[in-house]
Amino acid sequence: MAELPFPLPDLGEGLIEATVLDWLVAEGDQVERNQPLVEVETTKSSLELPSPQSGKVLKLYGAPGDVIKVGEPLIVFEVPDDTAGIVGTVPSEEAPKRRVRLSANLDED
Amino acid sequence: MSETLTVSNNGVAPGASATLELSLQGALNLALDELLAEDPKALVLGEDVGTLGGVFRVTSGLAAKHGAERVFDTPLAESGILGMSIGLAMAGFHPVPEVQFDGFAYPAVNQIVCQLARMNYRSRGAVPMPVTLRVPSFGGIRAPEHHGESLEALFAHVPGLKVVSPADPQQGYSLLKAAVRMPDPVIFMEPKSRYWQKGLVVTEAAANLGTADDGGDAPSSAEITGAGLTDAGLTGARIARPGRHLTLVAWGAMVARCLQVAELAAEDGIDVEVLDLRWLKPIDADALATSVGKTRRAVVVHEAPRTSGLGAEVAQIITERCFGTLKAPVERVTGFDVPYPSGDLEDEYIPNIDRILFGIQRVLEYKRG
Repeated sequence: MAELPFPLPDLGEGLIEATVLDWLVAEGDQVERNQPLVEVETTKSSLELPSPQSGKVLKLYGAPGDVIKVGEPLIVFEVPDDTAGIVGTVPSEEAPKRRVRLSANLDED
Repeated sequence: MSETLTVSNNGVAPGASATLELSLQGALNLALDELLAEDPKALVLGEDVGTLGGVFRVTSGLAAKHGAERVFDTPLAESGILGMSIGLAMAGFHPVPEVQFDGFAYPAVNQIVCQLARMNYRSRGAVPMPVTLRVPSFGGIRAPEHHGESLEALFAHVPGLKVVSPADPQQGYSLLKAAVRMPDPVIFMEPKSRYWQKGLVVTEAAANLGTADDGGDAPSSAEITGAGLTDAGLTGARIARPGRHLTLVAWGAMVARCLQVAELAAEDGIDVEVLDLRWLKPIDADALATSVGKTRRAVVVHEAPRTSGLGAEVAQIITERCFGTLKAPVERVTGFDVPYPSGDLEDEYIPNIDRILFGIQRVLEYKRG
């Protein structure tokens, strides 16, 4: 297994930091992609951050009330070695689907 | 037999079963591990290949096992990676550099074309370039721009280079070993969308157990031949699936797709042969002539854009060798003449099952005159 850190992303509108309001996951939890991870508050609004990927939560940075700057560590995931750090996504193997049927007169062969 | 095993059983316990189930990334990792063990001049270098073990984990664990002076990270500068490899080869090393993604081979093209490919010719054979450049290639993983390119025609056009692409874990293991042992520069195009699919791999250690056509743990002679562990198997194309009515010619990730298409075509009574070209320079013209000489129909499939793609070369070789017996012009099913698209459009760009079936149908219904 490999560790994959996820820093606080750029939340837009020139915001440079956010305050942790409430963690929605705990260390040791298995999370899915897009599952809400944490509620944070900026000077503009409060919002939930979705998980960028699936994996096990290894470490959380910051208790409720702590301020985290954009780019600083927010969470560390544990992911399988063969998928850590890749660019893109692992293709899923699906049963082949078709719409085109073939027809031929092979008699002359 | 035991002496043989001590030479090349790295990573495989003696007496272990004849075959291992590995992903392509695992098979390439095993091949590099064994190459580093057998050849003290072999080196692995590139961005993130050392500490991280490569973005696709192909070099995972190699730095820890073989030393950070033999498996090492380079600056983010592809021209420098190739320039360093050329210098190391001149000094007697056998470098296996990696360019992290196909699209980042472009900054290294000057070193590849003007130096790597020509040094042997320029020196009248005094300075060979035993360099194998690994390039995670082709599309299919929803990656951003410059991460889904098909460069085979570009490099196949350069005299002095060899170009090869493995289709599955066994081919990855066998062809990477063959490439690194060659005295020539080889562009090794790994189909990144196939990195995670597993398959059985006959290792050289297992093959060295001897054939056991009468049963037992060792692979049969047919398995050893199919694995490409013989000299003949390492330099040419291979029949991935035999058939009678039509030949699908493919390489890299398109081989697996063509095998799916062949199964679907069989439902309609069309018996399709799938020829895995493997070596894209030099092309195994005899294998093309033998296959299409039998089936008399051919469709070539590649991800790269159509114009001046390698499909044109394959079609011309078939035409030269099989003109008298061909039932129809050779059909091409390819990517389009556009920059490789973003992930959302990838499935429209890469030849899909229906487009390949359409290509087959066009050949089947072709009428002369």
